[in-house]
Amino acid sequence: MKTILRAENLYKTYRVGSVDVHALRDVSLEVEEGEFVAIMGPSGCGKSTLLHLLGGLLQPTSGRITVDEEDLSAASDAARTDIRRRKIGFVFQRFNLFPTLTAEGNLRLAEQIQSKNNTDDATRRTEVLKLLRLEDKMKHKPMELSGGEQQRVAVARAIITNPALILADEPTGNLDSENSAIVLNMLQELNYRFNQTIVMITHNPEAAAMCRRIVYMRDGQITTPAVSVQISG
Amino acid sequence: MLHLVAANIRQRPLRMLISVLGVALGVNLVMLFTGLASGMAKDLERRSSNVRAEILFTRPGSMQLTSSTASLDVRYVERLKAIDGVADATPVILYVTQGSAGFGFERLEGIEWKSFAAMNRMSITEGRAPSAANEVIVDATKQRNDNLQINQEIKLFGDKSYRVVGVYQPESGARIKMTLAAMQDALEAAGKSTYILVKARDGVTAEELAQRLEAELPGNKIQLTRDISTNFERSVPFLGTFLRVLVALSAIVSTLVIMLAMYTTITERTREIGTLKALGASRGFIIWTIEQEALLISVIGLVIGFITAFVAGAAIERFSGLIFEYSWRWALVAVAIGLFGGALGALYPATRAANLDAVEALAYE
Repeated sequence: MKTILRAENLYKTYRVGSVDVHALRDVSLEVEEGEFVAIMGPSGCGKSTLLHLLGGLLQPTSGRITVDEEDLSAASDAARTDIRRRKIGFVFQRFNLFPTLTAEGNLRLAEQIQSKNNTDDATRRTEVLKLLRLEDKMKHKPMELSGGEQQRVAVARAIITNPALILADEPTGNLDSENSAIVLNMLQELNYRFNQTIVMITHNPEAAAMCRRIVYMRDGQITTPAVSVQISG
Repeated sequence: MLHLVAANIRQRPLRMLISVLGVALGVNLVMLFTGLASGMAKDLERRSSNVRAEILFTRPGSMQLTSSTASLDVRYVERLKAIDGVADATPVILYVTQGSAGFGFERLEGIEWKSFAAMNRMSITEGRAPSAANEVIVDATKQRNDNLQINQEIKLFGDKSYRVVGVYQPESGARIKMTLAAMQDALEAAGKSTYILVKARDGVTAEELAQRLEAELPGNKIQLTRDISTNFERSVPFLGTFLRVLVALSAIVSTLVIMLAMYTTITERTREIGTLKALGASRGFIIWTIEQEALLISVIGLVIGFITAFVAGAAIERFSGLIFEYSWRWALVAVAIGLFGGALGALYPATRAANLDAVEALAYE
């Protein structure tokens, strides 16, 4: 099976005043194509830093990251942006949709960023929104949608460009249990039906339980070896 | 990408309106001031071109842009007529007063109608020529602008009443003319004039005649009438500098307005910029998105600026008699100022946005 994400011996140290804060220490992780991995751990353990490193938003102090065989850690800021554009989709806790754009407009923007030749595939947008059961919300702006619907639009935005990897940062953190379940089911469906590789940060054990594998972190390190979880249903 | 730009502009209509007005103000300043300067200069040139005399004979320093004196003895007329090559000579008093609308300048002339009209091929189109001390004639533009009727009273020299008795054509020199005697009487300048128009005989060039006059009557100012409009520009020596300063100020206003608007916008949208970065938007994409927004504001500002400048110019022309003539050159300068000012003003905020740290931007509250 193809390895989509490989992180090797990652260190990330922040300088706060005259003190070095070690956010990550010797973190290594491999994610195969089609995996749905949860990263769990207490606040401040380095989960978000790891996710930002894996997404190329941060550069490691040392170590190596490859996404779909492209080396993120050695790349310049512009090159990391380019890899992110082609290979990675993000889902955020606070949805981060563009409030001035409709659901479809948010997807169109992602398409335009992804395709340098200004692709405008309305059929694809409709398909993706339909997949996430948002076909009747295409023309709605984020403020006109519920939290669950907004997060589904955010998921749609993440998958519209067919990324090799989706990185989800507490995607259910701002949702009630009902909407959390809907979003998680959709992520799971994407993983099962389309073999979409997903790495998700979560505090929620129930959310983590829906993943194929859970990785635990503490004090900037991965504390347990990867654990396979039997998916029910 | 344009749908994002348009949506962002619609999000803050008041801010957009202020930015648009800032750009429009710059365009207004450029178009109105340059239009006025050009309009007045060309109007003077047009009116000067209808003066058929080749030479304007006067005393040094007796004619300025905003003032004139009646210091030239009218007996020079006979001396001038006696010089070989002179076909005719007619005296004129030029008086500059405050405009009838309360601002600007109004020029009045005292003339000997018969000789003046014959020399300059002028005729009365309505009414008759002035004869009494309280009678004036006006040109068609003055009649139209001030909505004057024959026999209507107008106030000149402060509160003195004059009656409009005729309309003349073509437009030439001052728009209001009275008899030389009436003007001498009003100014208490009996036997004086401001200048004498001198017509050359056929076959004698203006330059030749000027040389003869200079030789016969040295110490006076001998000016070719075709140079009058050039002299008008010279008489406002800093007009060009003033216009250039004005253009620079307009550019600064446009740039600052856009810069402030876009800077505020960027601060408000910090998290959105972080999201763009997370989605893989390049620095160029982010800069271009913000630049497009600024350029769209500039284009709207330009359109509104041109429309309001033309409307304001027409209204001022209608109510004051000032004349505006817009040139493509200055219109292009205004367009360049609007677009360049907009692009330049947005460049700093756009670059700042593109350089934001993605993680910090995503965490921005």
